[in-house]
Amino acid sequence: MPFVSEQYPIDLIGGKSSRTSILLVTVFMEFILIILYLIALYRLRLMLPALVLHAGFILYTALNFGRIPLIGLHDTLGFLAFSIGVVSVVAGWDRKRDLFSYITVPLIALLLVGSAASPSMPGALPPVLKTLWFELHVVLSFLSYALFAIGAVFGILTLFLHEERAELNQYRSLLLGYALFSTAMIFGGIWAYLAWGAYWLWTPKELWTTIVWFFYSLYLHARLVRGWTGPKVVWMGIIGFAIVMFTYAGVGLLMKSSHEF
Amino acid sequence: MKTFFLSLKTTVWTLFALVCLFFIGSYMMPAHREVFAGMNDDILFRWVKHTASGELWSTWWFFAAMAGLVLLTINTIACSLQAIKGRWSRNDFLLRIAPQVIHIGFLFILLAHLLGAGWGYKLSGIMPEGAYAPLPEDKVLQLHQVRVLTDSHGSMTDWSAEVSLYENNQLVKSGMLGPNVPLFYKGTGIYLKSLNFDRGPAAVLLVAKDPGAVWALAGGVLFMLGSITLLALKWKKT
Repeated sequence: MPFVSEQYPIDLIGGKSSRTSILLVTVFMEFILIILYLIALYRLRLMLPALVLHAGFILYTALNFGRIPLIGLHDTLGFLAFSIGVVSVVAGWDRKRDLFSYITVPLIALLLVGSAASPSMPGALPPVLKTLWFELHVVLSFLSYALFAIGAVFGILTLFLHEERAELNQYRSLLLGYALFSTAMIFGGIWAYLAWGAYWLWTPKELWTTIVWFFYSLYLHARLVRGWTGPKVVWMGIIGFAIVMFTYAGVGLLMKSSHEF
Repeated sequence: MKTFFLSLKTTVWTLFALVCLFFIGSYMMPAHREVFAGMNDDILFRWVKHTASGELWSTWWFFAAMAGLVLLTINTIACSLQAIKGRWSRNDFLLRIAPQVIHIGFLFILLAHLLGAGWGYKLSGIMPEGAYAPLPEDKVLQLHQVRVLTDSHGSMTDWSAEVSLYENNQLVKSGMLGPNVPLFYKGTGIYLKSLNFDRGPAAVLLVAKDPGAVWALAGGVLFMLGSITLLALKWKKT
């Protein structure tokens, strides 16, 4: 059989007027969410109303499009902001106003601004994405990214505030993030095998995903090396998040890959 | 030499080297598309033999990464064997076994990649409705019909293809293919990638056999189980 190159047709459905009204609601909601999240600069627990509204917004989008909003930069930046919000509230519930909220809240706001500035992809999922394995893969990926983000924040608290238990909290965040990220990769491999007959493809995105996995494996093992605990390992936890963000957004924007949807 | 393979520093520096090599590879791949374009089209060893070995200027990072993975494999096996030596107590059983289950999962995944790289096959192409295509291992694939679902605006929302698989001229399997719905028979998968209507209704099909797939799945399951167990134990401890 001769080899030919294929294209995956992505179809957007939905009437023009309903799409317009959904987009208007989306822009309005994103504006409100940014305001509500910024209130948490005063105290992290005040993020709860923003999280509840954001969860409701995700549900609204899901009901309108028949899918969780997980495709394209617009959806995923919003979902990442929500995930970081959830993890930061859990991790910092008892915290008063401090560097933890001064870093996490602007980060969430920045992600929401990025989401608002990115074009949305209204409509149902393309057929190749209509599988539970895809949704699990993406949800777990972003939860793990959120944990890597909070781990990096704890790393900053360790280095600059010498906060007690911050290094331990970094380790706990990154360990949980690593477990979820590994699971996300496995689910992604299952999905890829069902969709494309291969659980692994040699593309820049897969290489960068593997870099993230190798890097956090390195962090977890480095903590066990005698004499390596302390700033060296803490910095790894911070640099890891930069690698994660490049893998998530940089690769998609700068390099061509089959991971683009 | 034994100390080198048992050392945690070997693990750390090998992982660091792999991070660097994959980083280099992520830039070399788009920069030398003509070399790497066919990397996923067939089993990896064929690409290595026919392309990579003759383009070392752009593929050296790949061979260095493979060497790094070999070193990591030996290091993992050596460390795991060392870790399970000695007396075991009921108190620390799970804490000692969980990392080894993770390591075994990792090794299974590497084995899966090795098997998939050297054995099996990948074939891809367009088949018109009613056509037959010969496959390896005395199999023949027939495409009966393609079906398209459209919305009220006439845009394609889903598609499927009805196929039959014959082995030694006997029908052994038939079914409907769709996105994420392949047909499997004795380790061979038939996948519907898309449809093509340039010269009449036709399906773009992929037929792939990967002997490593089941090892990858087993490795993934073990890795997840080990990670969750270790996570629970470390969480309690900290």
